[in-house]
Amino acid sequence: MYKEQITDREAISMLLLFVIGSTLIIGIGGDAKNDAWIAGIAGILMALPIILVYSRISSLFPGKDLFDILTSILGKVFGKTVAVLYIWYAFHLGALVIRNFGEFINTVAMPETPMLVPMLCLGLVCIVAVRAGIEVLGRISTYLVFPLMAIIMIVQILAIPELKPNYIKPFLSQGIMPILKGGFSAFAFPFAETILFIAVFFSLKTKRSPYKVYFSGLSIAGVLILLLTIRNIMVLGDLLGRLYFPSHVAVSRINIGNFLERIEVSVAFVFIVGAFVKTGVCLFAACRGIGKVFNLTDYKPIVIQTGLLMIYFSYIVYDSIMEMRNWAFKVYPYYAFPFQVILPLVIWIAAEIKTRKKAKQC
Amino acid sequence: MIFLVLIVYAVLILYEFIPLYKQKQWPEFAANAVLGVLSLTVAILLSVEVKIPSPSKPISNVITSVFGK
Repeated sequence: MYKEQITDREAISMLLLFVIGSTLIIGIGGDAKNDAWIAGIAGILMALPIILVYSRISSLFPGKDLFDILTSILGKVFGKTVAVLYIWYAFHLGALVIRNFGEFINTVAMPETPMLVPMLCLGLVCIVAVRAGIEVLGRISTYLVFPLMAIIMIVQILAIPELKPNYIKPFLSQGIMPILKGGFSAFAFPFAETILFIAVFFSLKTKRSPYKVYFSGLSIAGVLILLLTIRNIMVLGDLLGRLYFPSHVAVSRINIGNFLERIEVSVAFVFIVGAFVKTGVCLFAACRGIGKVFNLTDYKPIVIQTGLLMIYFSYIVYDSIMEMRNWAFKVYPYYAFPFQVILPLVIWIAAEIKTRKKAKQC
Repeated sequence: MIFLVLIVYAVLILYEFIPLYKQKQWPEFAANAVLGVLSLTVAILLSVEVKIPSPSKPISNVITSVFGK
């Protein structure tokens, strides 16, 4: 089989787009209101140790993906059970992202179109990209990451007249608890979702690469998310917690000399690209996992059916947008905790023991 | 709607299953067939507007009962 390989730069761009993907549009820090940016910092700080664990797992087994690692350290039966759990997580996460996209399009752009249509469009693009391989996703991310950064920065500068710095005060008005809760929610969505990248980093070139990729990708994405959150708070103030898509509303307030206005389509563009990369990575991880669990030689033949299942699942997963928001902030952090923290810790400890034993035998 | 679904899946079979069959990649063929039957079933159910239960309600019930609101 042809060995897929991506460069560090491609991996960093992919990770960056994955992290900012759906976060840009939904926002972080649910309950923390105008302290959401502190919650963001707390989320990044909480994510740092677990990112170390992910990169350590990835660099202990160069050239192997998450599912190879699972079967080689946890044994055939238990390893495959955990692999099935991760396939479910990747599949579910991909479906949630597609659903976010569908709700977004349905709310702001095309309220009368059935939601399945935009979701099908996004899903089909992801299916084509994943069928072409992870290299294609990596390359498209490198091409798109600079235009996206430029758009985000230009919009950020254009938003300066709308900023009202007094909205950010008072600091810590509700005490520390909402911030910790918001930080935990920011940790689970989006920072620790990068666990799925262990399934992608088999294709990196060197052993040190995972550290570099994880840390630079996460720090750039963290800074971007913080900047955007601060902008949203300063533009919207108290309204922030009551909107489904705060970035979209914040950018739609921009009005330069009655000429440059209605530029919120830039937010939609950034979100579409991010959602595409995020869904692509999730679909890739799910297909690769299915391929590994059933001992297939290649994952590519099953991409179409898995992708279609993902789209249908995203169509049935929520009843309404209220449920989606509630799920993303209240339920999801707890639901994802075992996949993001407990299982990786178990895998890491088992991997350390296994490699030490191997080193002794040699 | 249901005819549209059937036509699309017929095209998919022509496009995907027949090459796998010709190359005799039986594990891929079997996995693909299982997933295909599953997705065809869901697609037909969606096209005749059957309400398929979502797993997010039970998950959220379990989590709110354990951790509180």
